[in-house]
Amino acid sequence: MTHHYERHRWLRLLAILFAFALIAAACGDDDDTTTADDTAADDSAADDSAADDSAADDSAADDSAADDSAADDGAADDAAADDSAADDGAADDAAADDSAAGGDDVVRLGILAECEGAFGGFHEDVTAGAVFAMIRHAGATPNSTTTALDGFTGASVAGVPIELVGIGCGDDTADRAIQEVRTLVEQNGANVVIGPLSGDEGIAVANYALDHPEVTFINGISGAQDSTLHVQAPNFFRFNGDGAQWNAGIGDILYNEAGWRTAAVIADDYGFGWTSAAGFVADFCAAGGEIAAQVFPPLGTTDYSSFVQQLPDPDEVDGYFWVIGGTGTNASLEAFLNAKGDLTGDQHAGNLFFSPALAEALGTDIAGAYVGGFATLPGDIQTPEIEAYLADADAAWESLGGGLTGGEPAPPSVTLGFGFAYGYYSAGLALVTALEQVGGDLSNNHEALRDALSNITLDAPYGEITLDENRQAIVDTFVAQLVLDEESGEVVQKTVAIVPGVTQTFGGTYSSDTPPPERDNTPCEPRELPWQGNEIPVVDGVPQE
Amino acid sequence: MKRPQLSSRDRAAALALGFLLVLPVFGTDFFIDFVMTRTMMLGLAASSLIFLAAYGGMVSLAQWLIFGVAGFAVGNVVAESGRGLRLGWHPWVGVVIALVVAALVSLLLGALSSRSTGIYFLMLTLTYAVIGFFFFGQVTTFSGFGGMTGIDPPGFFTGHPKRLYYAGVVLSALAYWGFRAIGGTPFGLALQGVRDDPVRMASLGFNVPIHRMLAFTLAGFVAGLAGVLNIWWNGQIDPTSISIGPTLDLLIIAVIGGIIHLEGAWLGAFVVVAANIYLRDIPLVDSIGGVIGDRVLAEERFNTVVGLLLVLIMVASPDGLAGVILRVRDALSGSSSRRAAGPTALEGTRS
Repeated sequence: MTHHYERHRWLRLLAILFAFALIAAACGDDDDTTTADDTAADDSAADDSAADDSAADDSAADDSAADDSAADDGAADDAAADDSAADDGAADDAAADDSAAGGDDVVRLGILAECEGAFGGFHEDVTAGAVFAMIRHAGATPNSTTTALDGFTGASVAGVPIELVGIGCGDDTADRAIQEVRTLVEQNGANVVIGPLSGDEGIAVANYALDHPEVTFINGISGAQDSTLHVQAPNFFRFNGDGAQWNAGIGDILYNEAGWRTAAVIADDYGFGWTSAAGFVADFCAAGGEIAAQVFPPLGTTDYSSFVQQLPDPDEVDGYFWVIGGTGTNASLEAFLNAKGDLTGDQHAGNLFFSPALAEALGTDIAGAYVGGFATLPGDIQTPEIEAYLADADAAWESLGGGLTGGEPAPPSVTLGFGFAYGYYSAGLALVTALEQVGGDLSNNHEALRDALSNITLDAPYGEITLDENRQAIVDTFVAQLVLDEESGEVVQKTVAIVPGVTQTFGGTYSSDTPPPERDNTPCEPRELPWQGNEIPVVDGVPQE
Repeated sequence: MKRPQLSSRDRAAALALGFLLVLPVFGTDFFIDFVMTRTMMLGLAASSLIFLAAYGGMVSLAQWLIFGVAGFAVGNVVAESGRGLRLGWHPWVGVVIALVVAALVSLLLGALSSRSTGIYFLMLTLTYAVIGFFFFGQVTTFSGFGGMTGIDPPGFFTGHPKRLYYAGVVLSALAYWGFRAIGGTPFGLALQGVRDDPVRMASLGFNVPIHRMLAFTLAGFVAGLAGVLNIWWNGQIDPTSISIGPTLDLLIIAVIGGIIHLEGAWLGAFVVVAANIYLRDIPLVDSIGGVIGDRVLAEERFNTVVGLLLVLIMVASPDGLAGVILRVRDALSGSSSRRAAGPTALEGTRS
């Protein structure tokens, strides 16, 4: 009985749906308009033909719409058709221009940063690193005097302008990193991406790079081994060490200087944690040490008590090596204090996350602990290059609210002197240097640029960086110690040794045939490492050549 | 029993399908690949939730888990390197295994929860979701917290995002009509009876738990299909992909769309996906929420906006966007005829 009414109602409903959908489609077009001119090179020949057809198809769509729906819909439809025709045309033209030139003529830079998760506090820092490279080396002007997140203008190298098209917001998960990098590349049209920050993100982005040969990726500061050693994307470059490289030398020193024979390891349960722990295990075992236990809490755990209970007691092991980062560092050490007793410098050591700030919360007993290396050198080493770098940073902005000061405004050199920002800075510096070398040649999927990046010797403030055949940095790292400053009574970081020429293969321990580091799959065996006994001791901030 | 001709609802859906099929002609690549493909995938997953809620009276939070289980299964079977089992088998074998695993897991979970209803069913399925998150996080044999990356779809889809979109459209259409057809079968009618009065159905001789379990398995299979599409689209999956946040997002999609209307699954998915992508371009949104003074649309901010949207829609229409559309339709036609609150026990038997 009600079917006649129902039919009319459904037709109207359909008409409205149709209109909505068309408006949505038009919106999609609009959105792309902003980047259509920029992303032209991404448009393929297939698009051109689609655009040619679209006129015909649109009119067909119009007809059917007219048959089925009210006049409003026709209007919406027309608007949508007009929009898409105009947009496609613009994209076509630009694409034609570009293909004539044989490639991009602008660097559209996307920065993949991190605004949430365990490292979310370093959003400003890493963005500032990449932006500072543009300010210092590409003539850019920052858009704000108190934050790097507003970006920059006026950057250009060898006549090629560098535009910032977006800052991605990761949360240290691979899932989110892929969403963000896809937004940067596929929506904002980035053709060069600097980032990401964190281990698993790096693996995901390197895999993404495999499928996007038209985009050049320069790692920010992520340090999982797989990103370069196993994924081996030809367009993914990493100018910083991985987690294992940064721990080179510390096992040797703990065995030979601190007298450790057995150690327990507690590490974040993800790509970087595994890599970092694997570096310590390989180094410590190479010197002759043994691993008593390894415990892996999930990244971002808040209550570590159950994990700490799994560690051996202090009288059963010579020492503990900590690889807990971000918001977990303090929480895990406090859990140890409650469960196992005092944190003493002679029985504890850690990777880069073991910072002097721990002493504020946990007391000065931690003085004496050895700390693994990171991208920048501790503050007690000063060279003219480092001083110039930090002074330029202070000149670039009035202040920055970085992660080390909890977002409070501080001199920019505080932010830029830390490894997170420095990793992104090195990436930006590599981009600018390579662009200069090739005279801004971006043709043929950045072929010349990538050649230059692969073979570059990067003259970076904290030391020279070169890449190996997997486009992974060969770095000088360091071992530091937390010491009590007699004058101020505070715990500070002092460099103990510089470990030169650390390669990702770790003296043959790793290759593309070995499985990527997982929880405890690095074999504990004595072996010769190139830097064993060759560490350069540092006394009062001066390397003893 | 069967209608000789298509109902107007079918015609509307058929036209919507036709529209979706021609959409790639005038939509941009980004719009198709990023907005519409995800809409289809999430809509497919949400439709399984809505099917259970609308036809079986079961609001399940385990659909996203099963979606993830299928993804992890594909990853373990297909990937040659990285983490997990690294079997390196052909992608299509991966699909078959993933769907079988998804169906078996849903059969098991359905059997375990078939005797609970209402809030208890909701909590039980939420527990499954949490267990799933920690299972894949802790058991490095299958994944570990780092998850698996670099998983390629079959060659047919590699480098052809529009084909993936069409796969999503076709599967969505099959699920939509499939669910509705099942609603009209003796099984579907009994299921709706179980929804309305399980005690009476039991006293009539129907096996209530088995009906619930089979419906759950069927919905799990569809969620598994969506999970396979998702890993083809995304190329990676990790435990945070199936954590509480995304699990609740799926429920939000269903509620925004209208949890008693199957069409609502795709409407809700479109709204949430579009909000996620386009809201960050609206300047005003910058002043909402935010962390550490950043200028980017953060997840919290997105959730704030979607939350407001949800409240607005719930106030305007308790049965979601599909309900709004029905109201508008009623207003346009000038009639205030009774509006069926979701599928009724009579559906499929009207002539």
